[in-house]
Amino acid sequence: MQRDWPEVWGGLILAIVGIGAALYAWQNYDMGTLRQMGPGFFPVAIGLALCGFGLIIALPAFLRGGEGAQFDGVSLVLVLAAVLVFGLALPRLGLVGASFVTVLIATLPAQRRGWRWRGVLALSITLVTVLIFHVGLRMTLPLWPRLS
Amino acid sequence: MSTWESLLLGLSFALQPQILIYCVLGVLLGSFVGVLPGIGAMAAISMLLPLTFYMSPEAALIMLAGVYYGAQYGGAVASILLRLPGTPQSAVTTLDGYPLTQQGRAGLALFTAMISSFTGAMIGIVVLVVLAGWLSALATRFGAADYAMMMIFGLVAASTIGATRPVKGFAMITLGVLLGCIGTDVNSGAQRFTFGQTELLDGLNLVALAMGLFGVAEVIANIRNPERQKTAARISMRSLLPTREDLRRIPLPVLRGGALGSFFGALPGTGSTLSAFLAYATERRLSRQPERFGKGAIEGVAGPEAGNNAASITAFAPTLTLGIPGDPIMALMLGALIIHGIQPGPMMLEARPEMFWGLVASFGIGNLLLILLNLPLIGIWIAMLRIPFNYLYPAIIVFLCLGVYSVRGLTFDIVLVAGIGLAGYLMTLARLSPALLLLGFVLGPLIETNLRRAMLVARGDPMVFLERPISAGFVCAIVVLLLLPLWRLWRRKA
Repeated sequence: MQRDWPEVWGGLILAIVGIGAALYAWQNYDMGTLRQMGPGFFPVAIGLALCGFGLIIALPAFLRGGEGAQFDGVSLVLVLAAVLVFGLALPRLGLVGASFVTVLIATLPAQRRGWRWRGVLALSITLVTVLIFHVGLRMTLPLWPRLS
Repeated sequence: MSTWESLLLGLSFALQPQILIYCVLGVLLGSFVGVLPGIGAMAAISMLLPLTFYMSPEAALIMLAGVYYGAQYGGAVASILLRLPGTPQSAVTTLDGYPLTQQGRAGLALFTAMISSFTGAMIGIVVLVVLAGWLSALATRFGAADYAMMMIFGLVAASTIGATRPVKGFAMITLGVLLGCIGTDVNSGAQRFTFGQTELLDGLNLVALAMGLFGVAEVIANIRNPERQKTAARISMRSLLPTREDLRRIPLPVLRGGALGSFFGALPGTGSTLSAFLAYATERRLSRQPERFGKGAIEGVAGPEAGNNAASITAFAPTLTLGIPGDPIMALMLGALIIHGIQPGPMMLEARPEMFWGLVASFGIGNLLLILLNLPLIGIWIAMLRIPFNYLYPAIIVFLCLGVYSVRGLTFDIVLVAGIGLAGYLMTLARLSPALLLLGFVLGPLIETNLRRAMLVARGDPMVFLERPISAGFVCAIVVLLLLPLWRLWRRKA
């Protein structure tokens, strides 16, 4: 039988996050009393509630049929890579370098073939970015890659 | 000051060139992102949030509000022409708007959507003015227990009303509240869930959270979505004009939608998306020919579009007078104001009259601009719908990274966006709502503070929530909301 796997996993992850947060807060923060609640009280209560809700989502989904989801791993990995590269490249490659490289990586999952349009797109987005953020808003960011 | 004097003050404030320009900019940007499916007001506001740090708080609020209601106008365009909701608020408009397009009457549907949106917004403005004064007066009687219960009511309402599986909403809200615990605890100074990262001392960055959930996650979900590759056909200006028969059908649904939207927009927890759905359901029920709905009934466009616009205006009433955001977009607005050092509350109308009344006046100006601009600009919006998504999303990624980075200049925040984007994509796969997470995130710390204060005042006696009349009223409402789905389930089985 095709189970509703996205909901099973979603529910389970939520339950684990909830119980984990509750346990961590229980061990590390003061619970206080009902009158004077400590920093641990609220996180423990909320964590336990989240754990409960997660299980209520996961268990029926395990017993019931459901449609699978369209998981697009390629787009996921490449978009996240583009975001991370931007963060790492900005201090070293400057605004121009970081924008250019990020757009190139971001276009990889697109289904249109060829490299010309990717290059042209990267150049034009870089230009627009520099115009808005450097010229327009005068954000203090390094513009060009550092050569040293 | 009388209401008229206040309105005049607001008008003279909003018409200053340096304020007016941001209003114009806001509504144009809003229409732009609204038209494009896959980027909603949520993503647009979070991308613009860092840019507003350079402005006065009043200008920032007026611009961000303009993006919100501007996106409502734009959202209808893609819903009608492509059956792709440009924003979640205009999803219902696809039901009858797209069949009208298939019948070659796209122009009529667009015209109706614009006129209805405008009228709905006008109704919303009147209700907002009345409601804000009333709520400010009421709010002086609110104690910590009342605030806490009202916010919990809002969260319960957001996840139960109109939802098929309320437990999924509850889960997202509790996750949001849990994420809201990250950072320094205001009562004790303890550092919670920071794991030694100094970047987390002020809590999880709101901008990073919103951009990860609504920017990155939605880009990933849309890149290879075949639906997203459709492009619009051209339409002629003459097809915009309604026939006499259409003109007879439009006014009443618009008024009903506007009234419904005004009410549900102001209620915490129910926002413009729900208002649009309710307006549609009402029109179908009241119609003498309900079978026309879903096949191009013009009432099915007019009602919801009036409803979502009215709601997007009245939603500001609880946000500005009580400091309680009713829906996720208002949560983002509240976050923006808090970043500017303004904590909205009952004193807002008196302490910052030019902010509140300026905003009210800007609603009028902005909506007038939208209706005047959108009809001539319709050709441009349609041309924009012909831009392939492949050219748009890389730019979105660069802009949102820069936006996050500009808040604090920390690479840590960009890494955070990637992590939250991953989580957000997994949530869309499991059909969990990231919008509710954000609502919980913003309300969570407020609830905790008020809950702890209430318990301290009551010496640890939880009965305080039932003894105070306002709080008891909200407790009753929460119980009703929780029992309603169970009752429906029981009735279906019986």
